[in-house]
Amino acid sequence: MTTPAIRIQGLTKDFAVGMRGVKLRAVDGLDLEIADNEIFGLLGPNGSGKSTTIKIILGLLDASKGQCGIYGKPSHTVEARKSVGFLPEAPYFYRYLSGRELVRFYARVCGVPRVSINEQVDSVIELVGMTEAAHRRVGTYSKGMLQRIGLAQALVHDPQLVILDEPTAGVDPLGAAAIADIVRELKLRGKTILLSSHLLAQIEGLCDRVAILHRGKLVREGRVDELVEDGQAESLVVEGLTAEGMVAVEKAICEQGGTLRRVEKPRLSLDTLFLNEVKQREASRQSIDAEEGGAS
Amino acid sequence: MSSAVESFNRIRLIAGNTFLEAVRQKFFNSLLLISIALLASSTFFQQFDFGTSELKFITDFGFGALFFFGSILSITATTQLFFNEIENRTALTMLAKPIYKLEFLAGKFLGAHLLMLCFTVVISVVLAGMLFWRETELMAHLGDEFTGGRLIRYGDVFLFGFLQWMKFGILAAITLFVASFSNTNLYTIVVSFFMLIICQLQYIARDAYSSLEVGIGSWLVQVLGLVFPNFQLFNVGEQLVFGVESGLPVVTTLQITGYGLVYTVAFILLAQLNFGRREI
Repeated sequence: MTTPAIRIQGLTKDFAVGMRGVKLRAVDGLDLEIADNEIFGLLGPNGSGKSTTIKIILGLLDASKGQCGIYGKPSHTVEARKSVGFLPEAPYFYRYLSGRELVRFYARVCGVPRVSINEQVDSVIELVGMTEAAHRRVGTYSKGMLQRIGLAQALVHDPQLVILDEPTAGVDPLGAAAIADIVRELKLRGKTILLSSHLLAQIEGLCDRVAILHRGKLVREGRVDELVEDGQAESLVVEGLTAEGMVAVEKAICEQGGTLRRVEKPRLSLDTLFLNEVKQREASRQSIDAEEGGAS
Repeated sequence: MSSAVESFNRIRLIAGNTFLEAVRQKFFNSLLLISIALLASSTFFQQFDFGTSELKFITDFGFGALFFFGSILSITATTQLFFNEIENRTALTMLAKPIYKLEFLAGKFLGAHLLMLCFTVVISVVLAGMLFWRETELMAHLGDEFTGGRLIRYGDVFLFGFLQWMKFGILAAITLFVASFSNTNLYTIVVSFFMLIICQLQYIARDAYSSLEVGIGSWLVQVLGLVFPNFQLFNVGEQLVFGVESGLPVVTTLQITGYGLVYTVAFILLAQLNFGRREI
């Protein structure tokens, strides 16, 4: 049996609030296990304990009770963090450094050997699609670019576990789709990804498994398909059916002991519609540019 | 690579980055310019025709400017460099890397201390330059008072600068200690200035209570004398530049340096005690 990427057992975190030290429970007896090479979504509304859980995993906060391990090592140790890359929520970096300098700085902090540092930095900058803007100062970056350079700094020491706290918050759908593509690519490269979000639609198609937190407690956990499927019903998507054909299908369903609950037009999500439209226009603009370039 | 070397490299990187951030701040550049301008303004006193006493006056003026502006810079720069990391949450990204909190604190301290080194060197060079220029002029006018050659020992200007830099180190470490449990910039700056005043004036309390018989008062003074470093030990300007023939003995210089180092390390370790428990 392989060691899980993250194992959390009975994790509880209390914060003392106010002068009298009244306890506020942010995480309440959480048990979780995240397997290697899995994309795991930590979902929940604001204040549900996602970020606190992540901070405990990263050793930035001490747990009040319970245990947390990364690949078998206690998560609060420096040794455990060697295999972790982290992108914080709404990241803010040293504004006076260029994107490349920033990634290089973190690479050196993480102990990337000098001989491979340039190659490693270039490779992650390319992976996140920031090659063209890498020479610009971080202070001039848009929110989406900050997220991407943040991802680059998280990946530069080639960690096995990547933790992304609200990676798509405040990013437009194009940026969010780009981040989702990077996460899929990371999984292909064998990495484990833990991401937290309250933007459920954006990560529904991305995660292998999810856990839903509410007021610090684990509400549901499992594979996305299993959690969202309606076990009582099947859906047929039919194209080119006439009105008569529709009646015949309904009759056939009744004859077979089924019930036609509703008939509806399949819908695209607004995200998908937006992405399709923008990508189509981008593609046609690029082909026009290419034609104009060829003509001149 | 051994873990000690790795640790040193991480501290060096954080210090370098902190220094880079510090020299880009307008506050540092403004304070540096004001200090140089103030120092340069001391040549105004040549109009009063003090003779060779003018050189002593410029020296005291320069040493005073170094201490005054250096103390302000040491406290405010250390506070700002620390809280920038906390408020902008860059500390979150940094501490999620495989580094110890002590390395982070040591890096912040060294970055701020490097800034103070630059400040001290610039002020010392400007002061030495001004003294040299005025002394050369006075030698031309008052040759008979310079029969034994130049009056000023220029090396002492830099020795005084070095000892002040050691003092700024303690001050930066104290500021870091206050910042480690404080939640705001303002609180840190105010408390650190109070600490500076206590350290600067603690000799008065020592003198006042030296006549106390052995008892709780005497014991209390001794404890406070240990907790708060005595900054008067670093004020050796009187013995330097124009002082006795031999200047400050090497042993004394080393003792003062050691005293500074012990307090600096002690306050950084105390800061670590708080910062280690702090929730980022």
